[in-house]
Amino acid sequence: MKKTSITLAVAATLLSTVGAFAQWVPERPVEFVVASGPGGGTDNFARTIQSVIAQHNLMDQSVVVLNKGAGSGAEAFIYAKANNANPHKLIFGTNNVYLLPHVAKMAYTSEDLVPVAALALDEFLIWVKADAPYADAAEFIAAAKANPGSLPVGGSQSKDTDETLVALIEQKTGAEFKYVPYNGGGEVGVQLAGGHIAANVNNPNENLGQWQAGAIKPLCVFSDQRMAESDPVHGDTGWHDIATCTEAGIDISSYQMPRTVWLPAGVSDEQLAFYVDLMQKVSETPEWQEYVANTSQTGRFLAGEELSAFIDNSETSTVEVFKAEGWTAQ
Amino acid sequence: MVIKRIHMEVLVACLLALAGVAVAGGSLELGVGWTDSGPDAGYFPFYVGLLLAIAGFANAIWTVILHRGETEIFIDSEQARRLLSFLLPMTAFVIVTLLLGLYVGAALYLFYVAWRQGKYNPFWAAGLGIGFAISLFVVFDTLFKVPLLKGPLEAYLKIY
Amino acid sequence: MENFGLLMEGFQVAITPTHLAIMVIGVMLGLVVGVLPGLGAPNGVSLLIPLTFTMDPVSAIILLASMYWGALFGGSTTSILFNIPGEPSSVATTFDGYPMAQKGQSTRALTLAFMSAGIGALVGVVVITLLSTWAAGFALRFGAPEYFSVYFLAFCAFIGMGSSAPLKTIISLLVGLALSTVGMDTITGTLRLTYGLNELMGGVSFLVVVIGLFGIGEILMTVQDGLHFRGVASRIDLRDVFRTIAELPRYWATLLRSSAIGVWMGITPGGPTAASFMSYGVARQWSRPGEPFGKGRPEGIVAPETADHSAGTCAMLPMLALGVPSSATAAVMMGGLMIWGLTPGPMLFATKPDFVWGLIASMYISNIVAVVLVMATVPLFAALLRIPFAVIGPVIVAICFVGAYTVSNATFDLWLVLLFGVIGYVFSKLSYPLAPLVLAMVLGHKAENSFHQSMILSDGSLDVFWSNPLVGSIMTLALLLVIVPQVVKLIGRLRSRGTLRSVH
Repeated sequence: MKKTSITLAVAATLLSTVGAFAQWVPERPVEFVVASGPGGGTDNFARTIQSVIAQHNLMDQSVVVLNKGAGSGAEAFIYAKANNANPHKLIFGTNNVYLLPHVAKMAYTSEDLVPVAALALDEFLIWVKADAPYADAAEFIAAAKANPGSLPVGGSQSKDTDETLVALIEQKTGAEFKYVPYNGGGEVGVQLAGGHIAANVNNPNENLGQWQAGAIKPLCVFSDQRMAESDPVHGDTGWHDIATCTEAGIDISSYQMPRTVWLPAGVSDEQLAFYVDLMQKVSETPEWQEYVANTSQTGRFLAGEELSAFIDNSETSTVEVFKAEGWTAQ
Repeated sequence: MVIKRIHMEVLVACLLALAGVAVAGGSLELGVGWTDSGPDAGYFPFYVGLLLAIAGFANAIWTVILHRGETEIFIDSEQARRLLSFLLPMTAFVIVTLLLGLYVGAALYLFYVAWRQGKYNPFWAAGLGIGFAISLFVVFDTLFKVPLLKGPLEAYLKIY
Repeated sequence: MENFGLLMEGFQVAITPTHLAIMVIGVMLGLVVGVLPGLGAPNGVSLLIPLTFTMDPVSAIILLASMYWGALFGGSTTSILFNIPGEPSSVATTFDGYPMAQKGQSTRALTLAFMSAGIGALVGVVVITLLSTWAAGFALRFGAPEYFSVYFLAFCAFIGMGSSAPLKTIISLLVGLALSTVGMDTITGTLRLTYGLNELMGGVSFLVVVIGLFGIGEILMTVQDGLHFRGVASRIDLRDVFRTIAELPRYWATLLRSSAIGVWMGITPGGPTAASFMSYGVARQWSRPGEPFGKGRPEGIVAPETADHSAGTCAMLPMLALGVPSSATAAVMMGGLMIWGLTPGPMLFATKPDFVWGLIASMYISNIVAVVLVMATVPLFAALLRIPFAVIGPVIVAICFVGAYTVSNATFDLWLVLLFGVIGYVFSKLSYPLAPLVLAMVLGHKAENSFHQSMILSDGSLDVFWSNPLVGSIMTLALLLVIVPQVVKLIGRLRSRGTLRSVH
C-alpha cells in the first residue's frame, strides 16, 4: 500500500515536471541579475552557470548578465520587486536576499522573491597568520579572552555574513574581538598575510593563494563534518585535515553561505519548475563540478521544500544573532 | 533676457550653500559624533555639508562686497536663445526616452535636431536618426550584450 | 637576472601565431569599448569571460589583458576630441587634450596621448619584469593607515597649487566629497544621504557625473557661443604624427616623473585614476614656466597619460601576486582566473611560471600592437571633427546619455546627466574649477573608508598615521607637497618685493 502511494507520488511528480516542462519555456532572452559587482563570488557563480547553459544548450533563449550590486546587493532585489511576475529575470545572490531586510531599512522584503534553488554552499574558516602563536582554535579563543576587544578580525562589509559569524563566535565563546570591515574577501586575505589584522573568517577560495604560499594557516571550519578530501595545499595539509570548529571547542556546528537563485514573486508554478529543472541539470554537469572543486565550495543542490527549510533555519538562527547584537532594523 | 554675472554668482553660491545645509541635515540622523572606534557614519558628510554651507554663504557675501555694481554679463538674450534651443530638445529627448526607450528617443532626437536646426532635408534627417539607432542596437544589444532601455515599439516588434 | 630568463621563456609562450592573432583581436575589441563611453574595459572583459572557459588559461588571459590595454588607449580618444572621458582614468586627459584639439591640433593631441601612454605602459612592464618579487612583498606592508596615506598623497599632490579663486576651489572639492558619501557605507553598513530614494542607494556614479559635467557641460558652452554649428576644418596631415613623435623627447622629465608616479600608484593600491590626477597636478607644479596648463599644454597630456598606463600595467602585479584587484577590470579578470582553476597569490609565480611570464611577455607585445593600431586610427578620429555640428552634436549628446544609462541600467541617471550638464555649464562660466570635484569623488570615499578602518584599528588615535616609517614618510611627503609650493611662492613674492624696493 505504502509502496504504491510512493510510486504514485513519484509518477505524479514526474508527470508534473514533464508537464510543466512542456507547458512553459522562456519566450525571450533571460536576464541574469547578479547581486554583486563584476568579479565577486556571486558574479562568478552566475557567469559559470551562464557558460554551462551555453555549452550544453540547456535553454533555447540567450542569457544576458546584469550586475546590480549596489547596497550590498539590495539593488538586485529591489529590481526583482519592480519586475514582479516577470519570468525572464533570474536573480543570483547568497543569503543576503533574506538577511538584508533585517539589518537595514530596505525597499523590499524577502516575500518579493521566490527561491528557485541553491547550488553550492560556501564554507567559513578561521584563518590566522602562519607564524601566529596559536596551534588551534581553542588557543586563539583563549588569547582573545585574555585581551578582550584588542585582537583585530577582518571581514568583508559590515553586518554581512562575516561580521555575523564573528558576532556568533563572540556570543558562543564569550571572547571579544575588534571587527574591521573591508571591501572584499581578497583584500581581507592580504591584510591578514601582511599582519595588519590577527585573523579573518574568509571562504576557502578567498584565502587559498595565501595559504599555498604559507603566509597564513586555517584553524578550523564551521561545518558539522570535515571538508572533502583534496590534494595537500600547503606542506602536507589539505582541506580534509582542517578540524571542525566543534572539534576545537567552538559550539557552532554549521555556518555556511548558500549560493542561491531566485525569481521575482508572482511567477507561475510552471515557470518556477522550468528553472528548478534547469538548475538541477546545470548542477549535474562536469563543468559545474569542476567550478565547485576549483573554488573549494561544497556542491549541494537544494530546491523545493528542502530549500525552504534551509532558508527558514538559516534566517531564524541568524536573526537571533542580529537581535543579540542589536542590529535589527525597526 | 540678460542675466548679470554677479546675480548668477550670488544665486549659485546660495544654492551651493543650501545644498550644504541639506547634506549636513541629512547626516544628522546618522550620528555625527566621534566614537571609540572612530567617526560615526554621519561624521564626514556632516562636516563636509557644514563647510560647504559656510563656504557658499561666504562666497555669496564676498561677491556682493567685492563686485557690487559690476556689469559683466553672464548670458545675453542671443546666447540664452541658442542655449534653450539646444537644452529643450535634449530635455525632451530624456522624457521621450523614459516613455519610448533609448532607441526611439535617440532616433527622434537626431531627426529633430538635424531637420530643424541643421536645416537638412527631413528624409535625410530621418535616415540619420534611424541609422544611428540601428547602429546603437547592433553595437550594444547584439555585439556586446549590453541591453539598452527599450519601449513599446521594441515590444511590438518582439525585440527584447 | 633569473627573471630575465623566465621572461625569455614567456616570450616563447606568447609569440605564437595564435597568441599574436588573439592580441590583435583583443586590442581592437578593447579600442571599441574604450572609445564608446557606454562601454568600458569591465564590460568588455566580463563579456569575453564565458568565451574563455574553453580556452587554455594563457590564451584566455592574453585575450582579456589585450582587451584591457586596448580599452585604456581608446578611452583617451573621446576625452581629447569631445571632452567626454571614455574611462574614469582618462578624465585628467581632458584638461589639456580637449583645449589642444579645439585649437585645431587634434592630431598632435592624440599622438602625444598615445605615444606617452605606450611609453608609460612599457615602463610599467619593465618594472613588473624586474621587481615582481620585491614589489609583491612591498605591497603586503600596506594596511589601512598606509592606504589612507597614499590617497592623502594623491590629494595633496593635486590640490597643492591654488590656481583659481581659493574659495571656489574649496567649494568644488566639498561638493565632490559630499557626492562621494552618498549611498551604502561599507564600514558602518548604513545608507547615507539617499533621502529615501532607492536610486541613490548605490551612490552617485562617478562616470555619470563626469559625463554630465564634461560632456554635456562642454557642449552647452559650445552651443551658447554658436561657433561650431558649422564643422571645424581640422587639418589632417600624417606628417603631424611624425612631427609630434619627434617632439616627445623634449618632455623626458615629465615622462620620467609621471612613469614613476604611475608605477608607485599601481603597486600601492592607488590605482590608475588617482595616478593620472596626481601626475597632472605634479606636472603643473614642477614644469618649466610656459603656456598655462588647461589651455592645451603638451605636458598636460603627457603627464596623465603616462601615469595612467604605467599604473594600469603595474596594477596587474598586486592582482597576480596577492589576489587584490586594483580596478574593476582587474576584479573581473581575477574572477576569470579562479574559474580557470588558477589561484592568484604568491604561489602563482612559482606554480604556473608559463602562465605568469607568458602574460608578462604578452604585455610587451600587445602594448606595442596597441600603439600601432591606435595610431592608425588617429586620422580617422580626427576626421570626426569635420562632421557638421548639427549632426555630431546630437550624436554626442545621445552617446553621453547611452553611456550614463549603461553604468547601472538606471533611468534615474539620465536625469543626473542633465542636471550635471547644467551644473558643468554654470560652473565653467563662473570659473569654478571642476577638477577638484572629480578628484574628490574618486578618492573621497576610499580615503574615508581607510581612515575609518585605521581608527578602528588604533582605537581612535591619530598617531597611527605616524606609527611606522612607511606611513610616516608618505604622510610627511604629502604635507610637504602642500606646504613647499606655498613657501616657495611666498619667498618669491618677498624677493620680488625686495627687488622692487631696491630699485626705488
